Amino acid sequence: MQKKWTGWAALMLTTAMVLSACGGSSGNNSGNASSSPSGSSSPSSSEGASASPSAPAENVELTLAGWTSSPEEQSLLQQVLDEFQAKNPTIKVKYEVIADQYMDVIKTRLIGGEAPDVFYLDAFEAPGLIEKGVLEPLDGYVSDDFDLADFETPMVEAFKGKDGKTYGFPKDTSTLALFYNKKMFADAGIANPPATWEELQAAAEKLTKKDGSKVSVYGLGQAPELARQMFMIQAFGGKLTDDQGMAAFATPEGLKGLQLVIDQHLKAKTAGQPSDVGAGWGGEMFGQQKAAMVIEGNWAIPYLQTNFKDLDFGTAEVPTVNGKKGTMAYTVGYVMNKESKKKDAAWKLISYLTGKEGMKTWTSKGFALPTRKSVAAELGYDKDPLRGALVAGGSYSTTWQAGATLPTIMNNFNNQFVAAYTGQSTLEEAMKLAQETANSEIKAGQ
Amino acid sequence: MSKRSGKLRLREGAAGYAFMSPAIVVLGCFLLLPILYAVFLSFHKVNLLGEVSYKFSGTANFERMADDTRLWIALRNTCKYALIVVPSQTLLALVLASILNMKLKFRNFFRVAYYLPTVTSSAVLVLIFMWIYNSNGLLNYLLDLVGLPTYNWLGDPNVALTGIMVMNIWSTAPLFMVIYLAALQDIPESQYEAAEIDGAGAWKKFWRITVPQLKPVTFYVVVMGIIGTFQLFDQSYIFSAGSGGPNNATLTMVLLIYQYAFKNLDMGYASALAFLLAVVIMLITVVQRLLFREEKLN
Repeated sequence: MQKKWTGWAALMLTTAMVLSACGGSSGNNSGNASSSPSGSSSPSSSEGASASPSAPAENVELTLAGWTSSPEEQSLLQQVLDEFQAKNPTIKVKYEVIADQYMDVIKTRLIGGEAPDVFYLDAFEAPGLIEKGVLEPLDGYVSDDFDLADFETPMVEAFKGKDGKTYGFPKDTSTLALFYNKKMFADAGIANPPATWEELQAAAEKLTKKDGSKVSVYGLGQAPELARQMFMIQAFGGKLTDDQGMAAFATPEGLKGLQLVIDQHLKAKTAGQPSDVGAGWGGEMFGQQKAAMVIEGNWAIPYLQTNFKDLDFGTAEVPTVNGKKGTMAYTVGYVMNKESKKKDAAWKLISYLTGKEGMKTWTSKGFALPTRKSVAAELGYDKDPLRGALVAGGSYSTTWQAGATLPTIMNNFNNQFVAAYTGQSTLEEAMKLAQETANSEIKAGQ
Repeated sequence: MSKRSGKLRLREGAAGYAFMSPAIVVLGCFLLLPILYAVFLSFHKVNLLGEVSYKFSGTANFERMADDTRLWIALRNTCKYALIVVPSQTLLALVLASILNMKLKFRNFFRVAYYLPTVTSSAVLVLIFMWIYNSNGLLNYLLDLVGLPTYNWLGDPNVALTGIMVMNIWSTAPLFMVIYLAALQDIPESQYEAAEIDGAGAWKKFWRITVPQLKPVTFYVVVMGIIGTFQLFDQSYIFSAGSGGPNNATLTMVLLIYQYAFKNLDMGYASALAFLLAVVIMLITVVQRLLFREEKLN
């Protein structure tokens, strides 16, 4: 009898263990019960209804996920969120920072049904997520107050799907500009920042300093990756992808611009990548005065100002290649999770963050540039000595985006471009291989 | 009487399984089920993001492997890595263990000192080594001091994998050293004494007594070493920030599986690749068993 009992006890214990282990996950969803009323697609009253009595009286907790590049930026966003919560006392916003591998985390959480209600999305990843149908189309929520026309058109276009619906609104943007070290320029007797690529090469020649055979200061710091070099493919008429989204950059026209990058590193030896001098990225390389010029975005300005206070630097538009102006533009938007159970509140948050008021606070400290014309005009960044060049680039920039296949193309391009950049293979061979590999991977994945 | 004992046996059996059930359930949930699920997935085209769908695709995922150039690069890198790392770390472990087995002064200090790298988290080790290999890092500084040319160790595809190899040999060898050390202390002293009487030198004693006596342990060490090296992930992940670069030089099998599973969200193909990896490891282990057994017969 005793034996029987112990056997049963063991069985019961196991069952209890399993049940308690499985039960843990279901508890999380119960918090969602306090969602908005079922008619979530009736957005008429949602915008600007901060004090309207028709808003749901229940308290709603939203989650917002994003990344951050500095503690100052994080506290600035918290400030915007605090202002939003003060205006919408029924909505509480839980702000989560995803520190690393942002897209992997977001995708995995979307699959698991644990994704945040509102999250950051880089324009370059947007087509992939839109195609999968996990984002909520926002057209139905937009009201006249939101003033859609106020946005820079290419920035909104970046979040449009093939179906013509808009799935996100840009929170901020940055283009690339040429950063130059004023003291090094003066020492080398160069009066003005280079305006053409030939001038840039000549200036880099003068600015490069050698310590024996080792280069101690590069004239130009380069970033051998697609996100920074896509406009160089286009400079001589090349294209990154064809109409079907297949890689198509390994053409003579496409290679011509890239060859300039490679030659300056391998032949002229007046340009180098950050790891050549032990830096992590271009801004650091420039700040440590190991490169006299770098092509970076707005994010480098607050970084340089806080970390390298003695550095005297200026910015200029990216020098023309082949007589044409060109630069890259990056934008990040706020998107809404389609599975969110609090869509009305989520839209209120998005419309505040990308609205005139929220965007003004968010971009006021210069961590990022506004995507609304009215905010840009009010803050006067076009006349800012450092940011003017970045704002000017907006009109002729290439947006960092190229369909749902871009992540695959980027991965293969970067891998092979490094081979050409370090002189292991010619640019032509490397790019052909990258294109073939990317296209076979795209085909296999379809 | 016999009936009763049969009932009793049944009851005892049931009780036995009941006691084992925690282990069975845990192993089943977290080991057996995932394996079966992975096999199931490897024959399907899976879409998880958005509309969840499993489409049976037969052997399409396996056929796709033949054209996947990155897979062959990953396999080549992994094999190269295993071929260099496993013999080196086994040899180093054996040498270190033999040294520690001698009656040295401060023996305990050395045991602890040698074992420290194994206790350290591999992520921390990678970061430390990346500082050493950095263009302005310790290695270049030392080279510069002696007047040798410095080098961009992290940026060159040719040396990136070697960097990880050196680090891993250094950090895993001590683990196997401890296993060897335990085995060494099991070899009876009398055998050495007998050999000494017969006039064997130190080298002969090591080669004729120590090494053969350690054979079962060596088998274990080599098998575990190969499985460990084939599963290389964290080091190359941190080293290349998940890309397997520069120029696919640090792309390993598991990193490739990770990229397909979580970057491309192609769970079907990723499962097929994991299946391939399991088959490769199993085959190697079987071959090793045969090799070691044959020598035993001789």
